[in-house]
Amino acid sequence: MHIPDGLIAPQVYLAAYAAAAPAWAWAVRKVARDFDETLIPRLAVLTALAFVLTTVMIPLPGGTSGHVIGVGLLALAFGIWPAFLAYSLVLVLQSLLFGAGGITVLAVNALAMGLAGAAVTVGVHRLLVGWRKPVAVIVGVWCGVVVSAVLVALVLGIQPLMGSDASGQPLFFPFGPAVTLPVIVIPHLFIGAGEAVLTWMVLSVTERRRVPA
Amino acid sequence: MKDRLLLSVWLVAVVGITFIHDPVWLGGLLLLAFALAGKATPALLKRALIAIALVNIAVSAGFVISASLAGEPWGLFVMRLNLRVLLLTFLTLWLARHLDLVRAVDFSRSLQFVVVLALGQIKTFQRMLTDYRMAFRSRSLGRPDLKTRMRSAGRQAGALLEKAELQATEVNLGMRSRGFFDDRA
Repeated sequence: MHIPDGLIAPQVYLAAYAAAAPAWAWAVRKVARDFDETLIPRLAVLTALAFVLTTVMIPLPGGTSGHVIGVGLLALAFGIWPAFLAYSLVLVLQSLLFGAGGITVLAVNALAMGLAGAAVTVGVHRLLVGWRKPVAVIVGVWCGVVVSAVLVALVLGIQPLMGSDASGQPLFFPFGPAVTLPVIVIPHLFIGAGEAVLTWMVLSVTERRRVPA
Repeated sequence: MKDRLLLSVWLVAVVGITFIHDPVWLGGLLLLAFALAGKATPALLKRALIAIALVNIAVSAGFVISASLAGEPWGLFVMRLNLRVLLLTFLTLWLARHLDLVRAVDFSRSLQFVVVLALGQIKTFQRMLTDYRMAFRSRSLGRPDLKTRMRSAGRQAGALLEKAELQATEVNLGMRSRGFFDDRA
């Protein structure tokens, strides 16, 4: 789902960096407080886990690609802030080591998928967990994926407003929300469902196999 | 130092390129990037084209069709978009070939440790996933149905999650036994 370099206007991605910077700072503080000396190994292993979970990519029409995001699983297993940090590091590694995704749009992708996706997943899960656990996991992860897709679609969809040249042709991504929302969100309704079921299967398997301390 | 400088120059270049909208300038910079890459140009260009093909073809074709139907010009946009995205991707792939990320982040010991450990763990997890996939394939006579594949994917991800928790504890104990946390105190 994440946006590649070159499609987003600087005024949007720089604003996203300005918004993401305090979120990253808060996440580091929060995770450092919760994990103390285990922070470094846990964060590294979480990053590796998130990276491997996101290696399966499904290209989608309309300027983007789809894959198992893995943020829902990370958020439910370890919390919102570790998931956000780990996913942000994954985006850095993907960009710098493999040329996938992009560094300019890193903050947009991290906020949309790493933070909003994790927060929505955990929020919905908390709302529903008292009722039925599998439903809470499935609906929570699905909502997280769909909300992330909506945010990415909206960010792409506002690009035509970011300027055009003398002949009226757009400077960045050319299609508005009327195109980006259906093109990106509709496939993610299905990708989200697949990811939600997968997450539920993973969590139920690990719960069954967990040895009590 | 070299890697940090490389990373900084690349960052400035990438941000700067997003402010350039003239296809002539973008084309000139792309030629400059080819010259910079030297003999690696064909391989990098091939990788960059494969990486951007789907997105750029979809966006360009969509724009050409919608602009043509509206009787509006489209050539400048298509050139601008494709040259910019190709230039950015080419430069990033070039950087990926030359950058030692571990050295580039040596300004922070903690960050450097996270990167080193994460890269090592990624290899471990990838090996583990490959083993799982090959084992699954070797046990399947024909193409497994969706339910079986979904169950297998769930088990794979579950094993990854368990392994991650165990690895985190193991790495932490390893770091503690080597005095990493004593040095920081």
